[in-house]
Formats: sequence, structure tokens, C-alpha cells
Amino acid sequence: MGLTTLLLALSTGALAQDRPGRFEVRSASSTLRDGVHFLEARVEYRLSSEARQALDAGVPLTIELEMMVIRHRRFWPDVEVATLRQGYRLEYHALSQRYIVINLNSGEQSTFATLFSALNFLGRISDLPVIDAALLEPGNRYDGRIRALLSKEDIPGPLQLIAFWRKGWTLESEWFRWRIVDK
Amino acid sequence: MVPMADRRQVKRLIYTAVMLAGAVLWLAALLLLSQTAQNSADFARLQSAILAVNAAGVFVLLLLIGGNLVRLIRDYRRQVPGSRLKARMVTMLVALSVLPLVLVYLFAVQFINRGIDSWFNVDVEQGLSNALSLSQTALAIQMREHLERTQAMNEQVNRLRAVDLIPALGELRRESGARELSVFGANSQILATSSENPTAAVPDYPSEELIFQLRQGRPFVALEPLGRAQFQIRTAINLASRSPGAEPRVLQGIFGVDQQLSGLAERVQASYNQYAELAFLRNALKTSFTLTLSLVLLLALLLAVYGAFFTARRLVSPIQQLVAGTRAVAKGDFDTRLPMPARDEIGFLVNSFNDMTKRLAKAHQEARRSQAQVESERANLAVILARLSTGVVALESDLSIRTANQAAGAILGVDLTNQVGESLVAVARDKPLLEQFLAISQGHLERGESEWREQIVLRGEVGRRVLMCACTVLPGEGDETGGYVVVFDDITALLQAQRDAAWGEVARRLAHEIKNPLTPIQLSAERLRRKFVPSGEHADDALVDRATHTIIQQVEAMKDMVNAFSEYARAPDIQISSVDLNQLISEVAELYRHQQRPLSLNLSLDSALPVVQVDVGRMRQVLHNLIRNALEALEGVSEPRIDIATRYASPNEDGLAEIRVADNGPGFQAEIVEQAFDPYVTSKAKGTGLGLAIVKKLVEEHGGTIQARNAERGGAEISILLPVEGRASATATIIQSARENRRERA
Repeated sequence: MGLTTLLLALSTGALAQDRPGRFEVRSASSTLRDGVHFLEARVEYRLSSEARQALDAGVPLTIELEMMVIRHRRFWPDVEVATLRQGYRLEYHALSQRYIVINLNSGEQSTFATLFSALNFLGRISDLPVIDAALLEPGNRYDGRIRALLSKEDIPGPLQLIAFWRKGWTLESEWFRWRIVDK
Repeated sequence: MVPMADRRQVKRLIYTAVMLAGAVLWLAALLLLSQTAQNSADFARLQSAILAVNAAGVFVLLLLIGGNLVRLIRDYRRQVPGSRLKARMVTMLVALSVLPLVLVYLFAVQFINRGIDSWFNVDVEQGLSNALSLSQTALAIQMREHLERTQAMNEQVNRLRAVDLIPALGELRRESGARELSVFGANSQILATSSENPTAAVPDYPSEELIFQLRQGRPFVALEPLGRAQFQIRTAINLASRSPGAEPRVLQGIFGVDQQLSGLAERVQASYNQYAELAFLRNALKTSFTLTLSLVLLLALLLAVYGAFFTARRLVSPIQQLVAGTRAVAKGDFDTRLPMPARDEIGFLVNSFNDMTKRLAKAHQEARRSQAQVESERANLAVILARLSTGVVALESDLSIRTANQAAGAILGVDLTNQVGESLVAVARDKPLLEQFLAISQGHLERGESEWREQIVLRGEVGRRVLMCACTVLPGEGDETGGYVVVFDDITALLQAQRDAAWGEVARRLAHEIKNPLTPIQLSAERLRRKFVPSGEHADDALVDRATHTIIQQVEAMKDMVNAFSEYARAPDIQISSVDLNQLISEVAELYRHQQRPLSLNLSLDSALPVVQVDVGRMRQVLHNLIRNALEALEGVSEPRIDIATRYASPNEDGLAEIRVADNGPGFQAEIVEQAFDPYVTSKAKGTGLGLAIVKKLVEEHGGTIQARNAERGGAEISILLPVEGRASATATIIQSARENRRERA
């Protein structure tokens, strides 16, 4: 009996109402202002059924934005110049029946009546400082990379073990690349 | 260089250490895994590593078990000793460990599932849900109140002019008990604001959803959690427009929630949240517990299987060694020693085995030694038998030859040593001496006399042989006889010697006792003759003359005879020197060439004959006697002939010089040929009868032998064999000393 449970639990996507989630960076660009490159990006977050259920059950989800500045080199592999992580915690507050988004870097908190608006809020990134222009050597070509992912490290232990296998918990966007221009 | 045993020990130590470290690591990983299931963020990060360690452990164990299994199957097919026992033990141990493990596992899974399910209670869930609803209702009342208050402000704010808006808003805020009261224009532009907190320069901007809702014409009210058990209620309404086409304005109020109420509500929320999360994680918990448990089970199973192999190997290896040792012993290798495994029963067994092989080896060695002793004794016996002048023949009960020595062959005229295993009856065919010997022996055996002793005389071509024969029965198995041993001595020569000695004594006595009275008899007869014969006075003178003449003549003859006897008995000291026999024979033969009678004397001398150590005087006498004997035998023969030949016989061994003298006379009479060398044995009219006897005596003084026979083409033939050197002097010395003894006694 135990074994059957285990097998059932391990089988992915077996349930009919399972909806796959998707993270996707739709656009990203940077602008130079006051000697700092600021990021402007649009990310589409679509949670999987599993993640959605967990969120509604009160499990906080951590969504991370991973950014990188890369210097191009001819005939050689590219070099990472800087890496930046921006974390958000998304949770459901049962009492107020609202979704809360907390910026883990600044501690800023926003509440939303719907998950859609919360995700929409998360997907609009603007004026996020990426790198000081002084750190970029002139004459080189620099690219920015960004991706969004659902962190598995902060979900509760028992879920982690399962998240290891389950597709519904593996939510990761592709890397999106843009060129950092010195203007 | 490190000794082999030390190196093996070090290797084993390293192996054990690695195994132990691996086991500890694995155990730690498993513990961590179980911790992961308990919602611990720190361990969560290690999860991949933990799983990797577990997977590696399982993989290593599978490899070990696979290797062991392959080896076991290979051994089983090759029927390596101990493999069957090992297979049985492994099967048994695995079965013994797997069954309880699986049982425990099934029960544990059951308990975990039931246990986790039992945490969740419908009543608790409902209670929490109700509590949350209650809190929500309580807060909802406040929200409605605040909204109503905000709506009530609509009229007042509408009436105000833009200039009065800011101070009036402060008044309104204080009246309504709001924390913050703001009026926004189009695009959320701040038209006026009043805050409880004077430092807050910028008001809380309305959110998009608020604006969206207001645009739909619905007032906005929401409870917003602030964290740390604090809430605020945000209300917003569209302010009625004073004139058509005027800018739409929004009044937003932010109200605090009663501290106690918010604290309680937050606690309810926290409990509800925790419960909901747990309920949600129920399946995940079950899964992870089951997974962990399954991993532990897998590990335990694999360990048990590996342990089964390990234990079986440990237990079987001394037995395998025992089997190998037993096989080695069965093949005759008694030096097998097994290493001591431990101080247990198997150790005792191995000890006993080692003890046994040690004793076996000792016994084997002793058996070999005694066998070697028997062999050497047998070899000694064979040497003794070979050197023995006595003939020894051992026969089986069916009269086949078991052993026979050279002397037996020499005496019986057949080489029996080459005929071992053959029937004596078959061998005896056409062998006259052996036939006679067999006939006598068989006669005794047929009469049932198994033990007998008899002097037997065998007649052969060469002459008669006198054997002293004794037979005895060999002990056999049970009542049957194990065969016979016949021992016999050729006593022909002994008897001859006795006869010679007797004759020598007779001759000496005769010479002494008879010769002495002869001289007075002769003198007396001569005196009688002198006194009576010349006168012629008496008529009987003629008679006296005849009588005395006869006496004197006969005495003379007797003197000659006695002289010859004394000659036979007398023997001067032997004087050995190197003599060329061929030359000596030529010299002696030359003396007989000028005889008046026509005589053909042929010499056939072997030039290879070496110089011989003999007494030249005696040898010359031997030759004279032989030739004279031949001449006497040739009287009356029409064409007398004497052949003298020499030959170097058996030059490889002790050299022997042979002299053969043959004549074409009448030969020996058949009945005397065997006693030809006895004194007074003669077939001739003339002669003393001592010639050949003296020859024989002289030859024997030189350690030689003499034989007489009739030649096939007629006539007598005498052959002498003399040792070339050495023995002559020894034999002569013995004879001389014997003679001196005799003289002293006389």
C-alpha cells in the first residue's frame, strides 16, 4: 500500500486538472541614467496548478530574478562581470484574502486582491539598477542576461523532496539577453 | 621490503577504514534525509548531495553484490568446493533478513500514513475555519463602518473649495479617526492629504486595482496586512463631481485596526495558515517519509545481502580450505597446513586437520624410511646372495622361480637369474644337471617332505658334481605354503680336497713307514746273495740267486714307488716369479721332439697371454707330467699326436691363463674320468698312478683349477686354468702353512 502511494506521488502530471506553469521573460533592456544602468523588463509568470495549490494553502513562494552582466571576448569564452539576484516572496493571506508580495531585498510589501494582479505586479520590473557604468570598460561589448525562477530552496522540506522530481515545481524561464549600450 | 602478511594486513585495514567511512557517510546522509522531511531549510540545500551520497552508496553496494553474485555463480558452475554451501548460506541469510525487513517496512509505512492522517481532524479544521470566518466578520464590520464614514465625508469634502480642502481634511481625519485621509485627482495626483504621522510627506498612493474598482463605480474597501500582526483598512470613494466635466476626484482613507482585535485575528490567521499548510503538505509528508523509509529499506536490504555474502564467505572459506586440504592429502601431499581462522569450532576442526596431516606426514615418512631400510636390506641380501658361493633358489609353490643367485646358476649350469618368474620345470628342459636336481627335489616334495636335507650327486658332461642340498618351506598366508627355498653347496671340490689330503697322509706314512724297512731288506738280500751265489756249492744256489734277485728287484721297485709317494707328499717352498708360460711350454715341448718314436707335437700359443705369477719349477713339472702322461697313453697308437694350446681367458675380469693338453689316445675310461686326478687311478699299464694327482696338487697350489674330459673327436683332454696374478701366492701360502703345521705335528 505504501509503495502504491509512493508511486502515485512520484508519477508526474498524472492528475487531469494539472496545468503546467510557465515563466518567461518577454522583454528586457537597460538605460543609462546618472552613471547607472537601469533595467526595464517584462516577465510573464504563470504558476502551475501545484504551485498555485500550495500558495492557496498558505505556502509562501519565493520567486527570484537572476541577472548577469557579461563581457564579450573574441575567441574566448565570455566573462561574468556581475551577478545580481532579486528575490520576491509571494504569499496568500487567508484573513484578508489578499496576496502579498514582499521584495526580499528592500522589504517593501504590496497586497493584491487577486493572484493575477500580484503576478502582474511582479512581472513589471522597472528602474532596477543593474550595474554602475564605471565598472564597464569602454570599448568592450557587454550583454545583460536575465531569467526568472521559482526557488526550491525556500519551500517546506517535505515538498522539496517531491519538488526534486515534479515538473510543476520546476519553474524557470530561459535566459533573456540584451545588449548593454553606453548611452 | 614489507612482508606479505603485513602488506595484506595494511590492505585489510585500509579497506575496513574506507568501508567504515562510507557507512558513516551514508548513515549521516540518511539522517539528513529524514531531517529534510521535518521542514528544515538548512538541510534542504544539502538535499542533492544527500541524494547523491545515497545513490552512490546504493550503486557501490549493488556493484559489490553483483561482483559477489557473479563469482558465486561461476564457482557454482565450476563446482568449486564450498560453493554449494556458500550458495545455500547466502540464500538462507538473505531470506532470513529480507522477510523481517519487508515486514517492518510495510508496518512502518502503514503507521506513518495512519499517523499523519490522524493529525488532521475534521473538527479542528472546521473550528479553525470558523475562527477565521469570525475574525473576518469582525473585521468586515469595522471595514463597513469605515467605508460608511468615508462615504459620509463625501458631502463635506464636496462642499469645500480647493483652498479649504487641506485644513478641512485634517479636521475630517481627526473626526473620523482615520490615520490618513487624501484626495487624489486624475492620474493619482495628490490634491490634499492629512496624516496622523506628521513626518509622512507623501501619502499612500492608491493602487491600480483601487482605481480600477472606483472607475467601475464601486467604492473600495480592503483590509491590508502590514506584518507583525498589524492591519490597516483602506477605503476609497469617487467624490461626487461639482460640475459636469470637472476633474474626477478620489477620497482615500486609511484606518487602523484595533490592536487587540488585530492581534487575535493575526493569531487565528497564523494557526489557520499553519494548519492549512500542514494539510496541504500531508501527501508530500507521506511521500517523503515513505521515500526515506524505502531508501533505508533498500540500504538495509542491500547491506543484508552483502552481509550475507560476506558472512558466507567468512564461514565457508575455512571449510573450502579444509576441502582443498583434504583433497591434497588424498592425493598424497601430507605437507598441507591450513591457516587458523579463529578460535571457534571451525578453528578447532582446522587445528585437528593440521594435527592429522602432521601425524600422517610423520607416519608416511616413517613408512618410507622403513621401506628404504627394507630395500637396502634386500639390496644387501641380494649382494650377499650374489657373492655367496652357495646356490640359493627360492621357488613359488607351483615351482616357478622367485629368486636365484648367480652361484645357483653356476652350480647347476643354467643362468637362473634371468629366468625369474618362469617355471623351473620348463627351464630344466635339456639342462641335464638341473633336470636331475629338479627330479630329486620333486621326489621329496611329492612325498610330502617339504623340509629335507640330502647330499646329491649330479652327472654331467663335465663330470660329476656332489651337492649338499637343503630345502625348507617359506611361510605363506594361512595354511598354504609360500614356496620353498633350496640351498645347495657344490662340495665336489671339498670332497676332492679331503681325498687329496687323505692320500697325502697315506703317501707320507708310506714313505716313512715303508721306506725304512726296505733298506735292511735289500741289504739282507744282497748279503745272502754275496754269500751263497758265487760259490755254487749248494744245489739250491740257483734258487737263492733267483729269490734274492726277485727280492732286491722288488725292493728297488718298492723304493721307487715310495720315492714317488714321498715326491707326492713332499712339497718344497713355493717361489713365485713372473713367467712367460708360452716360452716355458715351448722349452718343455722341445725336449720331447727328439724322441725316437714319430710324434706330432703341435703348439698353439696365444700371444696375448700376459706374464703369469707362478713357481717356474712346479709349472715345469706340471708340463712334464702332462706330456709324459700323454705319451704313456699314446703307446701303441699308430699316429700319435699331442696338442698343447694356451689362451688368455676372460681378459676383462680377473685374468685367467688356460693351458690345454690333448692327445689322440684312447681317452679316459668313462667310469674313472671323474677320479682321474686321484692317486692310483690309471688306465695305463705303466706309471705310478701319481702323475695327474701331482699335477692337480701343483695347479691348486697356484689357485688354479684342472679338468679332465674326453674330447669329442677322441682322446683325452686336460685343461688348466691359472690366475694371472695375486691368488697364486695367497693360496700357496695357505697350503704351505698347513703343511708346516702337519710337519710339526708329525
